Amino acid sequence: MSDQTPGNHNQSAAGAGAGTMKPGFHNTDGQGVAGHGSFFQATDLSREDAIKATDWVRKHVDRRTIDLGDRMDDIREHMYELEKDGQIIIHRIGDQHEPATVKTLFGWEKKIPTKQLWHHKSCGQCGNIPGYPTSLLWFMNKFGFVPGKDYLDETDQTSCTAWNYHGSGIGNVESLAAVFLRNFHQSYVSGKQHGHELGHFFPLVHCGTSFGNYKEIRKYLVESAELREKVTKILGKLGRLVDGKLVIPEEIIHYSEWVHVMRDRIASELQTIDVSNIRTTAHVACHYYKMVHEDAIYDPDVLGGNRTAIITSTAKALGAQVIDYSTWYDCCGFGFRHIISEREFTRSFTMDRKIRVVREEANADVLLANDTGCVTTMDKNQWIGKAHEQNFQVPIMAEVQFAALACGADPFKIVQLQWHASPCEDLVEKMGISWDEAKKNFQAYLKEVEAGNIEYLYNPELAYGGKA
Amino acid sequence: MATYAEMQQIFDDIRGDFRYDHELNGCLNCGICTATCPSAQFYDYSPREIVQLLWTENVEQIYDAMQEKIWACAQCMTCAARCPFKNSPGGLVAIMREVAIKHEMQSAKDVLRPFGRVMLKLITTGNQLSPDMIQPDHFPDWGPNIQKVEGDLRILRKAIPVKTLQTVETAWEVSLKTSVEMYTIWEMTGVLKSLELMDENLFDVIEDFIDEKREDYEEWLEEQEEDDD
Amino acid sequence: MSQDTVLVVGAGPSGLTAAANVAAAGYKAVMVEKEDVLGGAPIISGYAKLVPSGEWAKDAIGRMVTRVEDDANVTIHKEARVAKLEGEAGNFTATLSNGDTVNAGAVVLATGFTHFDSINKPEWGFGTFEDVLTTTQMEQMVTAGKIACPSDGRVPERVCILLCVGSRDRQIGREWCSKICCTVSANLAMEIKELSPETDVFIYYMDIRTYGLYEDKFYWKSQEEFKTKFVKARIAEVTASGDGRLLVKGEDTLVKRPIVIPFDIVVHAIGMDPNADNPEISQVFGVGLEKHGFIERAEHYTNTCGTTRKGIYSCGAAYGPETIDDSIAQGAAAAGRAIGDLHALVQKAS
Repeated sequence: MSDQTPGNHNQSAAGAGAGTMKPGFHNTDGQGVAGHGSFFQATDLSREDAIKATDWVRKHVDRRTIDLGDRMDDIREHMYELEKDGQIIIHRIGDQHEPATVKTLFGWEKKIPTKQLWHHKSCGQCGNIPGYPTSLLWFMNKFGFVPGKDYLDETDQTSCTAWNYHGSGIGNVESLAAVFLRNFHQSYVSGKQHGHELGHFFPLVHCGTSFGNYKEIRKYLVESAELREKVTKILGKLGRLVDGKLVIPEEIIHYSEWVHVMRDRIASELQTIDVSNIRTTAHVACHYYKMVHEDAIYDPDVLGGNRTAIITSTAKALGAQVIDYSTWYDCCGFGFRHIISEREFTRSFTMDRKIRVVREEANADVLLANDTGCVTTMDKNQWIGKAHEQNFQVPIMAEVQFAALACGADPFKIVQLQWHASPCEDLVEKMGISWDEAKKNFQAYLKEVEAGNIEYLYNPELAYGGKA
Repeated sequence: MATYAEMQQIFDDIRGDFRYDHELNGCLNCGICTATCPSAQFYDYSPREIVQLLWTENVEQIYDAMQEKIWACAQCMTCAARCPFKNSPGGLVAIMREVAIKHEMQSAKDVLRPFGRVMLKLITTGNQLSPDMIQPDHFPDWGPNIQKVEGDLRILRKAIPVKTLQTVETAWEVSLKTSVEMYTIWEMTGVLKSLELMDENLFDVIEDFIDEKREDYEEWLEEQEEDDD
Repeated sequence: MSQDTVLVVGAGPSGLTAAANVAAAGYKAVMVEKEDVLGGAPIISGYAKLVPSGEWAKDAIGRMVTRVEDDANVTIHKEARVAKLEGEAGNFTATLSNGDTVNAGAVVLATGFTHFDSINKPEWGFGTFEDVLTTTQMEQMVTAGKIACPSDGRVPERVCILLCVGSRDRQIGREWCSKICCTVSANLAMEIKELSPETDVFIYYMDIRTYGLYEDKFYWKSQEEFKTKFVKARIAEVTASGDGRLLVKGEDTLVKRPIVIPFDIVVHAIGMDPNADNPEISQVFGVGLEKHGFIERAEHYTNTCGTTRKGIYSCGAAYGPETIDDSIAQGAAAAGRAIGDLHALVQKAS
């Protein structure tokens, strides 16, 4: 697409047409990505000058393709060496996981398994925003996945404990590594209980902080023989070694990466609601794309590959508008300990740097996120704003919840919006779903629950190692 | 006030962490870390300053920064993603916090006191957070409408169509065996020890809890054996 | 035999100098240039006034081009590459992409560099916002004689230049200093102010490296006479505000506070990458590359302008970021080495 080479000022008046982006100018025709894009409008330069000015980009040198040699380490290569050396076992992603291949920041490839997944839950999501995991499981069922074979959700797992570590400093690399290896060992062996091979279920990490933390810890494990030795003792005592070796997964996969690679199937096979009138904004978790950032997904077709593709790719696939805003890169203000004991910081930061901006600048209908702390922070801190003359609100939810709504999921039973504090009903109504009716149905369902008639996405026995 | 030798020891402990050289390569003093730091906008805190103090081995100022400043960091790690030298100021702060705890600094104790409830939950259940913690009386500033449907928390949780999530006191149901395995990790990695340094009362409560759970697990194992017989 | 001929690859400042010097000494020079014009980056990328002479690139480099074009001892192949090189020092045979064959006793690689592509620093807004430009594009604007925002043609009130874009940055595997951007940017700031007196120019830097005589001529002068503001800060991100202006986020490290400042135009002072063709050049010519990907320099003290292969020399930005003036000097040095070694071979044989 030579006519869209960044820096190549559009040379025709067409450049100023529909879908053309200008900072601050937010189109509403649903074409392209509002507020973004490598679209350059006509300049005062003559055609000849404009071509000349950008001539040097004829040969596009991209860091996503340049050979960085040994100056940019790919930890996975060292991991394969350790495996060859007989030191560790790598939990591999095989054909049976039906992987999709994506590109990361430097153009490296990353395999995203789409099937046979072990749900590694997020304590913040499960405790506070359960619509995250339920929407995700609902999608898997919609695709015909068989619980106990194509995915597993069980009780034998702890949280990553990294929220605590980042918040308090209690804990250490060893404890984080042992927790990581214990959980992922369980994932590796979990298939056995259900009549499958070792390694049948590949871990799918729901939480952004777990995702970032596990990648960082994996790096330390691969780099430090001393750390490996220490945790091998612990894992040995727990009976969590395989052939006396640590089990480390080939890739660490975040749930939003699964959503990313499934987005076109979601849109083409499952979507029932037109969302082209919805103005979405994206907040990608810091711990998704800033920690071990060479592993985050970038796609040349999403935001020109200039920002991580996650969230935006899904909103776009569903046909929603995606609006840029000036504090896109900012953190949400969660702060790990701040949300608990520095509330003034969390509240001020999230209101001033996030909610105000997506409300006033982008006039968004919803702010989509992909992590636990971000949704909690941005969702729960809007009410108090009124006391500080911050009279603006924006619905907050995960991209997978938004996608589920667009595919006809029940706003309460599946998307679990009743746990959100932000005005999600506004979005639901704008999507043409009756909030009041859904709420009435849900309240009727609560009576059923009380009477013991509970609906499940999978056979509850599976959670305890039972058969499907 | 600490003696110089104590402050030197604190610095040596920071420097002794195996991550230290990984996360501090030098400093160009370009300020990109502070530019992108959420906490720098709010507090008298600058990741560049932390890096500079460590790099120049200013043990007195390092000690001073550990009184309060290191607790301002939000651990978002944006600094690490931006630094042209590939330092990780946020990672260095994490090391400094560990060392502050190890040295039983009063500042660490003060700062962590409100965190006790989370710690209790985490250490005992393996979950950081639970539905019963996110209730209006715990977070009055989140407003009265923290949920959109009124009702008994227990029933509302049962209305989540995922078995593991139908809990109130933990985010999901964690098996007893899993919890017991985790206690072993806490013990073997010194986490319980550092908890004891920070908050003895909390530690006592947690220890009792752990003992109880272990007994439960032993009983359960015995039952299993009996069943097998 | 071909011991009277030197093959010069690349017709930028260093290659043009090498060819001219080879010819001046009575040897034959054969130039191979992949583009259809001679002059290298200053001509192809349309530089404005050169540092430090202040002459327009097309005039200064133009003279160098004319000099070789008018020299009967220089043969020029445009739009051609060396596809294969056989033989050894004193007797090389090069097969060109156009089918021609060149016999030469020595080879000078004056293959230069590739401008850093700003798209690789996406958080700085290039490719996302139309008012984010590179120094090359800004120079074009200067050449065109009018400073205006590409988005809507308005005269910018505030322009900032970000230094070290694609330089001194381990995040993207470019640890080197590109050497000339500080001076070029100070020069550009003066040119902008000259054309557009109502525009204020700010330069964001990590260190200012206007070394040697560039200090007062560019760094001081840009401040004293053109009121250029230098801020010691590396910018974290460039985004756009609701009113269409660009926002840059930095820390004024001397005042020690994070800042978000509005600008109308943001200019990336782009650095020098290794020539994107270097992997191919390395293979065809059998020369090594140093760890960043530039041509590996031989022991410098007694094997000046050498590479890892005997009979093959290099000069200028092929070795690493280099100024035009120094590239020219190195081109002359490489020519001296090449013909000196050829002369020695002939002496030895007789």
